[in-house]
Amino acid sequence: MLRFFLIRLAAAIPPLLGMSFVAFAIVALAPGDPVMMELRAMGIVPEPEDIAALQAQFGLDKPFLPRYFDWLMRAVRFDFGTSVATGRSVMSEIAIHLPATLALAVSALVGAVVISLALGAFAVAGNRVTGVGLRGLTILLVSVPSFWLALLLIHVFVLNLGWTRLVGDGSLPDLVLPALTLSLGAGAGLGRVVYERVRAEKSEDHVRLAIAKGLDPLRIMLTHIAPRILGPLATAWANTFGALLGGAVIVESIFGWPGLGQLILQAIAQRDFPVIQAYLVFMGLIFFATSLIADIIVILADPQLRRRLGHE
Amino acid sequence: MPNIRLAVHLATAALVALPLALAPARAETSLTVAIKRDRYSVADDNFTFTTRRPAAQIVETAVRPDANFLPSPLLFETWDYADGAYTITLRQGVTFSDGTPFDADSAIAALRLYDQGKSDFLQIDQDSFVRLGDHAIGFRSEKGSALVIENMTHRATSLFGPSDDRAANPVGTGPYLLHSYDPKQQLTVVRNPDYWGDAPSVDRLTFRFIGDDNARLMALQNGEIDVIGEVTPQMLLSMPQDGSVVLHESRPIRYVALMTNIHGEAPFDILQDRQVREALAWAVDRETLASVLYAGHGVPAKGVLPGWMFNLGDDHTDGFGFDPAKAGEMLDAAGWTMGGNGVREKDGRKLGLRLVAAYPNVSTVKPMPEMLEQMFAAVGVEIDLVEVDDSGVYGSTYLDTGEADLFLEFASNNNTDPTYLLNNIFTTGTPWGGYRFFAPGPHVDALLSQAREAQTRDAVIDLVRRAHRAIVQDDLVAIPILMVPNFALSRPGIEVPMSEYEDWIDYGRVTFAQ
Repeated sequence: MLRFFLIRLAAAIPPLLGMSFVAFAIVALAPGDPVMMELRAMGIVPEPEDIAALQAQFGLDKPFLPRYFDWLMRAVRFDFGTSVATGRSVMSEIAIHLPATLALAVSALVGAVVISLALGAFAVAGNRVTGVGLRGLTILLVSVPSFWLALLLIHVFVLNLGWTRLVGDGSLPDLVLPALTLSLGAGAGLGRVVYERVRAEKSEDHVRLAIAKGLDPLRIMLTHIAPRILGPLATAWANTFGALLGGAVIVESIFGWPGLGQLILQAIAQRDFPVIQAYLVFMGLIFFATSLIADIIVILADPQLRRRLGHE
Repeated sequence: MPNIRLAVHLATAALVALPLALAPARAETSLTVAIKRDRYSVADDNFTFTTRRPAAQIVETAVRPDANFLPSPLLFETWDYADGAYTITLRQGVTFSDGTPFDADSAIAALRLYDQGKSDFLQIDQDSFVRLGDHAIGFRSEKGSALVIENMTHRATSLFGPSDDRAANPVGTGPYLLHSYDPKQQLTVVRNPDYWGDAPSVDRLTFRFIGDDNARLMALQNGEIDVIGEVTPQMLLSMPQDGSVVLHESRPIRYVALMTNIHGEAPFDILQDRQVREALAWAVDRETLASVLYAGHGVPAKGVLPGWMFNLGDDHTDGFGFDPAKAGEMLDAAGWTMGGNGVREKDGRKLGLRLVAAYPNVSTVKPMPEMLEQMFAAVGVEIDLVEVDDSGVYGSTYLDTGEADLFLEFASNNNTDPTYLLNNIFTTGTPWGGYRFFAPGPHVDALLSQAREAQTRDAVIDLVRRAHRAIVQDDLVAIPILMVPNFALSRPGIEVPMSEYEDWIDYGRVTFAQ
């Protein structure tokens, strides 16, 4: 198992390096000079020497590749420099905003898992009409853009029912609506996966034998089907978690949730290069970590894989 | 004896209760203002935290803009200027929030601290400070400029008292003290009980950062905030008309104008012909645009500077009406004759123009680009409309390269220096790169250079008027379209003291209806 873990970590280095290059390049090559934008926003009439000094301060006076390698050497030590916009270190910015985003994404994932299991179970257990209805609901929830769903939920739960407030202070009750917004669409998509996997497993010989023996359906589900579908579901959850992190950008903006989404939107508008680059790297690392966890769950859930890795 | 003891107790209780009974019953007033984003920097050399809109409540500037954007006393009581030298009388009886008196020594220290930042547009000679008395100082302009005091109306020139960490403990002379700051979330200030001036009407001000336009509007409707401080045109379009949201507006301050590329290389060289530029100016139906955009609160413009500003007046420019027939005649005279497909041609070349919309982003002017496209099509001009929603793309891709004919801009002279906008946008030596494509030439350069060196305000204003007329009338490098007020939205029952400067809206002095 340890060997697998180390190999997996080593295999991640090339893609992470590639990702760091892409993160650096797309930001560095994007139109918009952060120095000039900052100066104009401040209402400053710059002298050429002021511009040159600022460009040197942000390392923009060097060619692209040396800049990348300088940045990479610092990035591996988690030193992403200072935010052009706020003057705080980029790691401070990330530390301020990452917990809120992780809280939102994890809550949304938990909600999505619950919704998906419920939808999947209903679809499997229900009749044809129920199945068609749930399929329609799934298509609807997957198709609705998150910003529109957010506005709809706000209209119903905030403006009409008054059950919650729109712009909270980051406390737990304020998490409910943004997490629900994200989890509805994600849960519907995962529900389809649950349904398909359960259907596939139900046609396997060992499940048919269990049914023929007259075992309790709940027991069949928990002991015969659930262990077999846990691996594929874990992979789907890991992918969904990544998508939720991305989707959180818009939802955070609408609900004023103080997470990375707010940070990155403002950083893009202000061409805050160090923040954008660090954000992209962190997102890549989180994707890598979640997919690694999913792989481990797959191994733990599959006795054959467990045995094979044990022998190796 | 027990009766006497009881009487003593009652008398004591009455004495203790008396001050409480006499004190006027006054509930704490609070106001929550939603603004679009947290744009504050805590860096020492770029310190905008607490000095920029709208949290500029803790520190104060030396002077403040009056109704006509002329400097009026605040921490500086009087000032004199002669031959590059300023003599200042400071306001007495002012203290910083840490108890340090505001006097000649602390004022000089504050001005020196300001000079450490990047935004040194005051350009004070740092070796020239002299202490002329307990409350009198002198200094010189590095450039011999008569406009240093004008530039001190900018909030970024706010004067700080001594503090080890300005971000955690900003020390100022203002009516409020920092209470808490959660980056990207909210900032709260509370009333300074020792403020030297008139006490503000609001005890606690909270600024919530809410990026989404719809969310800001819904939060207002839901009673979670009291005022929206930064209002976009989209919010005006979706504003409910049932009285649940109240619109507040300043005088018109922001211009919407079409900047014309008069130095572009082919194929972006058509507007080098002034007749074509004037034809475009006559083809714009400003009344219709004014009625459609900005909830009908914009007005047709005759320039890029409003007439009330700096006492410029309205009569130094003529403006352009809506006269498509005249536009057509001018294009005919310029050799652009109508082709069979409704597009004019000259020597086999179509009259096609690329219009880039807009600075700072196209959302601020929607749906004006499409309406202008139709208006220009009606006189035989084909528009290649490019809409960008990012000022970086606007600048790098189009403005800096000159790869368009027309640039739609929504901006303002956000400075009380009368030369600020014109000098930065319309001179060949513009510091903003791409704007050189709009520069009329040496005659406007000379006017604005003389204005920046003029030694009296009257002389400055006269030169600015002449440069402004050249830009929007005689040379016509900027086709004025609309002048638009600064807006705020509130729940009913609140009166917001509006200012054309977003930085100078005094939220601490809103009034509440009974």
